[in-house]
Amino acid sequence: MYDFDWSSIPGALPFLWEGMKISLEITLVAVIVGILWGTLLALMRLSGISPLAYFAAGYVNLFRSIPLVMVLLWFFLIVPQFMQAVLGLAPTADTRLVSAMMGFALFESAYYAEIIRAGIQSVPKGQVAAAYALGMTYGQAMRLVVLPQAFRNMLPLLLTQAIILFQDTSLVYVSALADFFGAAYKVGDRDGRLVELLLFAGAVYFVLCYGASYAVKRLQRRVSA
Amino acid sequence: MGYHWDWAVLFRAVPTGETTYLAWMLSGLQMTVMLSLSAWAMALVVGSLMGVLRTVPNRWLARLAAGYVEVFRNIPLLVQLFIWYFVLPELLPPALGTGFKQMHPVAQQFLASMVCLGFFTSARVCEQVRAGIQSLPRGQMHAALALGLTLPQAYRHVLVPMAFRLIVPPLTSEFLNIFKNSAVCSTIGLLELAAQGRQLVDYTAQPYESFIAVTLLYLMLNAIVMLGMRQVEKRARVPGYIGSGK
Amino acid sequence: MISIRRVSKFYGDFQVLADCSTEVKKGEVVVICGPSGSGKSTLIKCVNGLEPFQSGEIVVDDVSVGGPKTDLPKLRSRVGMVFQHFELFPHMTIAENLIIAQTRVLGRRPNEAMDKGLKLLERVGLTAHAEKYPGELSGGQQQRVAIARALSMNPICMLFDERTSALDPEMINEVLEVMVKLAQEGMTMMVVTHEMEFARKVARRVVFMDEGRIVEDARTEEFFGAPRSERAQQFLSKILHH
Repeated sequence: MYDFDWSSIPGALPFLWEGMKISLEITLVAVIVGILWGTLLALMRLSGISPLAYFAAGYVNLFRSIPLVMVLLWFFLIVPQFMQAVLGLAPTADTRLVSAMMGFALFESAYYAEIIRAGIQSVPKGQVAAAYALGMTYGQAMRLVVLPQAFRNMLPLLLTQAIILFQDTSLVYVSALADFFGAAYKVGDRDGRLVELLLFAGAVYFVLCYGASYAVKRLQRRVSA
Repeated sequence: MGYHWDWAVLFRAVPTGETTYLAWMLSGLQMTVMLSLSAWAMALVVGSLMGVLRTVPNRWLARLAAGYVEVFRNIPLLVQLFIWYFVLPELLPPALGTGFKQMHPVAQQFLASMVCLGFFTSARVCEQVRAGIQSLPRGQMHAALALGLTLPQAYRHVLVPMAFRLIVPPLTSEFLNIFKNSAVCSTIGLLELAAQGRQLVDYTAQPYESFIAVTLLYLMLNAIVMLGMRQVEKRARVPGYIGSGK
Repeated sequence: MISIRRVSKFYGDFQVLADCSTEVKKGEVVVICGPSGSGKSTLIKCVNGLEPFQSGEIVVDDVSVGGPKTDLPKLRSRVGMVFQHFELFPHMTIAENLIIAQTRVLGRRPNEAMDKGLKLLERVGLTAHAEKYPGELSGGQQQRVAIARALSMNPICMLFDERTSALDPEMINEVLEVMVKLAQEGMTMMVVTHEMEFARKVARRVVFMDEGRIVEDARTEEFFGAPRSERAQQFLSKILHH
């Protein structure tokens, strides 16, 4: 039988917490940017202006068709060069965190765009008509009438997507960035206790994500009630 | 930016000389396809079974299936993969664990990847199957039982076949996901498509050509699966059936 | 043939059936009526064990439905049932709907089952539709297929659940015709319906239910001539003047 030895975990907690902060930072940035950019994409797609609609549809379909791992590899490749060229950063600067944030934000906005589009379409057409009848412009109708209702309906889905995103941040492993999972792996590898550290990481993710999705479920019940 | 494009690199011979970089990439594609298909088959079987369990009258079985879904849904795929690959062989009875470790490394990677993707996806399939079954009118089950079918027979001949016809669209997106998720398996060294892309970058120092080629292959896979599933959807359509009223 | 003795059923604290007793003899047609929510449909579903009940006893052809050792699938295969929404299986053709239980439950050979199915289809006047899917048929046609499907099992009795007929009047007639014929051939039937014409024409007895109780259980002539309870009088005047 395997001899468990959990003793390397307590000492590593500060390091793991640093990693967790990185995971949460990436998640937060990607959720905020993703929802903003996703909303714009959704509005473009529904705007009825063909070039905008085609661009948005192309963007969404492209990002939804390629693996996240591939997207991250692309961003770890491109972003450093881009930042060197535009911002004049030294080639040695560590841009992995920024690359990860941009990669996740642009990738997730494709998924958010689809959720938001469905949310907007779930608002009855009569609402837009009523807004127009009151003399509102398209922008006002969207901002004041449609989007508030849409976001209320979509809130649970947006949050669920954020939980998925949080889980996906573990994939920054491909750039050896020490997010929570990366940190756990490093500690396990260093101490020869990979089994314990991986199980610990899995348990932490499970507790956090299960708790969060339970909260979302309760919220959903309240929204639909 | 002064990048030197060189698409011909794909047709150049690899350092050992016996084949080209393109062939590497195609072998990666083949691995991705094999892995995704075998994991999908597993996910369909396990997912259907669990989906049925989630709807059976027995409360304990239903709870067991619900717990199953939560476990696979709330742990990142990468973590699950590492647990299957690094942790499980240590925890298995020594005979099994050693047996696994004595297998060919590629076989180990493939097996762990398939089981991981299969179970991960099965939890999602399970939820779809459950939703499909629950969307059927209750009378369908009653009608099947009233004819004398046993509960398993009612599921097998009436509820499950009908539920599957209703959930083809969400299953299509799960099927697409499994191809995309298979790229995660590059992290344990399995030389599937994404891993071959990275290897090409390392060997050729032509990152853009390599990544563009790999990305295009993923787009192609995506398109093929969508076209295929559209055919399945056409076949699965039930003549005259309009939604489901309770 | 069917005897229901002091059956009570609860959903949690809510009592859906209270001390219901009645009897259907071989060859008898009994109509069960009453306002919606009175428990008629629940009662009829207790007869073949689709709805469990907490106390009392139901015996069908000497088999106790709630008994611990009762082989429910076997019992159900001998009791035909036709549902309110027909409940044909939408992914099977009409022919497949008629065959599935014959082969899977009774173990008949496929061609034997097919012969039987086609004969019944002819009987309900739908031979031309054997290869169609339920969704392609009208409500009345689906209802007749549902009757044929139940008959394909050679049932010893039939249960009909039609509380709020979803059919338009013309279709009701085509279905009633089939049911009247069945009754005349001596089929034992328990029918939940609002079709008082049907009750008057073929029922031996009428059972009137209200709030989970059997309020009246009388011979058809008596029930329509002079219902004893006030509830039944109200119900009848409402339904007949409709």
